[in-house]
Amino acid sequence: MQLGLNLNINDAIPETMAKSREAERLGLDYIWISDLPSQRYAPVVASAAASATERIRIGFGLISPFLHTPQQLASPLTTLMEAYGERFELCIGPGDRDQLRRVGVDLDRTEGIPTHLLKAKDKIQGSLRDRGFGCKIWLGAQGPKLLEIASSFDGVLLNYSSPRMIEWALRIIRKAKGEMPERVGIFAPSYVYKSFRPEIHRILQYASATVALGASRSVLEQFSFSEMLEPALKKFASGTLESSVLKLIPSMVIEEFSILKCQHDLPTYLDELRRLGIDHVVFAYPQGYSIETIRELAEALSRGMR
Amino acid sequence: MDLSVGLTTSSSVEMVKWFAHNADGLGLRGVWIGEDIGRPQEIFTVTSLILLETKRVNVGIGVASPFIRNITTVARAAAALSEISSGRFRLGLGVGGLQDLASMGVQVEKPLESMRRTLQTLRSIWRGETSVTDKELRLENYKPQYGHPVDTPVFMGVRGPKLLSLAAELADGVILSGPREYVKESIELIRERRLAAGLTERGFSFVLWVPTIMLSDERDLELAKKVVAVVVADTPDRLLETAGVSTDEVNTIRAIMRGSGAKEAARNVSDKLVDEFCISGDAERICEIFRSYSSLGINEAVFGPPYGRNPKDAIQQVAKAWGRT
Repeated sequence: MQLGLNLNINDAIPETMAKSREAERLGLDYIWISDLPSQRYAPVVASAAASATERIRIGFGLISPFLHTPQQLASPLTTLMEAYGERFELCIGPGDRDQLRRVGVDLDRTEGIPTHLLKAKDKIQGSLRDRGFGCKIWLGAQGPKLLEIASSFDGVLLNYSSPRMIEWALRIIRKAKGEMPERVGIFAPSYVYKSFRPEIHRILQYASATVALGASRSVLEQFSFSEMLEPALKKFASGTLESSVLKLIPSMVIEEFSILKCQHDLPTYLDELRRLGIDHVVFAYPQGYSIETIRELAEALSRGMR
Repeated sequence: MDLSVGLTTSSSVEMVKWFAHNADGLGLRGVWIGEDIGRPQEIFTVTSLILLETKRVNVGIGVASPFIRNITTVARAAAALSEISSGRFRLGLGVGGLQDLASMGVQVEKPLESMRRTLQTLRSIWRGETSVTDKELRLENYKPQYGHPVDTPVFMGVRGPKLLSLAAELADGVILSGPREYVKESIELIRERRLAAGLTERGFSFVLWVPTIMLSDERDLELAKKVVAVVVADTPDRLLETAGVSTDEVNTIRAIMRGSGAKEAARNVSDKLVDEFCISGDAERICEIFRSYSSLGINEAVFGPPYGRNPKDAIQQVAKAWGRT
């Protein structure tokens, strides 16, 4: 099983470099750097992370081909691969609807999102091939429409953590084309701890709530979350996740989208994921909150068999 | 007056890395990286490679077009580059070649208005305004979260009196390219406009970036002529007239360029045209010509491309000669 850490692009870049170095030293396989329109530009952050490390694989993503053209996604990759070696990968997906809308990309009025993603993937691969490079392109997916195209990608990252949701997603992927992508992973807000810190747990709740509230309608309906989330969704319409919204979200919903484990319990959870067919786990923010939380994760991982 | 080196996104990563590794030791003021639209490297990533490897030299983008990407991409890329630069990053913006833009399906109908809006909005975003809205730029309640205000100097690489006037009013500097007479007139225009707007010249930089090439033998001159053929073919007639260059001669070159390419067109490039559009000679001569622009008001001259047949050697020789003089 490959294990990765998602770094927060809200961090100052020197901090990201220090955390990348630590993730590599502790033996993690990947760091993932997301791209959001309101935050630091991921290729520059990835470049800084690469300059601080030697071998850890670096994933850009999730990054949206609705904001960047395929050429604009491929060219930073080739520049970085030429400079730092072929240790970069890419995860594309529609992106954060609210943030994209603020910069002129309205996904709600965009037709054929799956087709656009498939075309983007082909063009990116073509650009990379023209330059003599190749890299894995992952799909960040959640709802049925995207799950149905997942096997056309090198890997899929599912945006939830609960075994029942993962099983459901894998069934859809398999049913759509009768095959699975080469890699199947999850990408979920995480807090694996040695000594529990309420302030980090609070960040985890916010991060998970953001994912849950942004989940596709079909996912919410499939798991009977729609009714449970209705009051929160109404209040969240302004796009700001305040504590009053968080209070309206049942904790069981938050748990389905996040990994909250004490060190001792992590190996059992990873075994469960392995049994389902998951071979890549990205511990998303706030696991990368500090060097200490990264070390707590690494300690937990060293307890279990990879 | 300072000396810098020019690279572009057509430069190989090997060249970029070599430069980044040696830049601090060459005694240069900095490096400017130009965006060749559609070429292999990505401008912001290449810039990051040099910033991360150097400690002393200024690193500037000279120039990138804001019209081929979402404005927030420019804003946050510059914010990230500024963060790793310790105050050494400079952002140059230009409209971009019309043919390049068209090849990407981009039409800039009102370049003056669009550039003004772009610059003003970038500054609003960088000031850390909590919410930025600009319907033309398709921003609605945009909330930047870069964690720090950005104070990156903005340069404009533009031509024509209207855009130069805009640079005088809003930018921190301008990157000029063209024959000497054109450069002289542009500087005068900008000074005039700044004076009229009640702005001092202090803090405003004039950068000269024209093709430069170190001549060792006849083959270097051939390379210089080829570069000049490409440059003049894309130069507006008004600018040629300012420089007193015969449009008949240039039209012949343009026709051959279209039919047979730059190599053939280069045969029709006269030595006079090379002198107008290209700075060439041995290292000492190049430095001498650069310094002669100081009297016009140029603060910083940029060496290359195309440098010469051995770019690394040419950069080292010109840097050494600059140090001696």
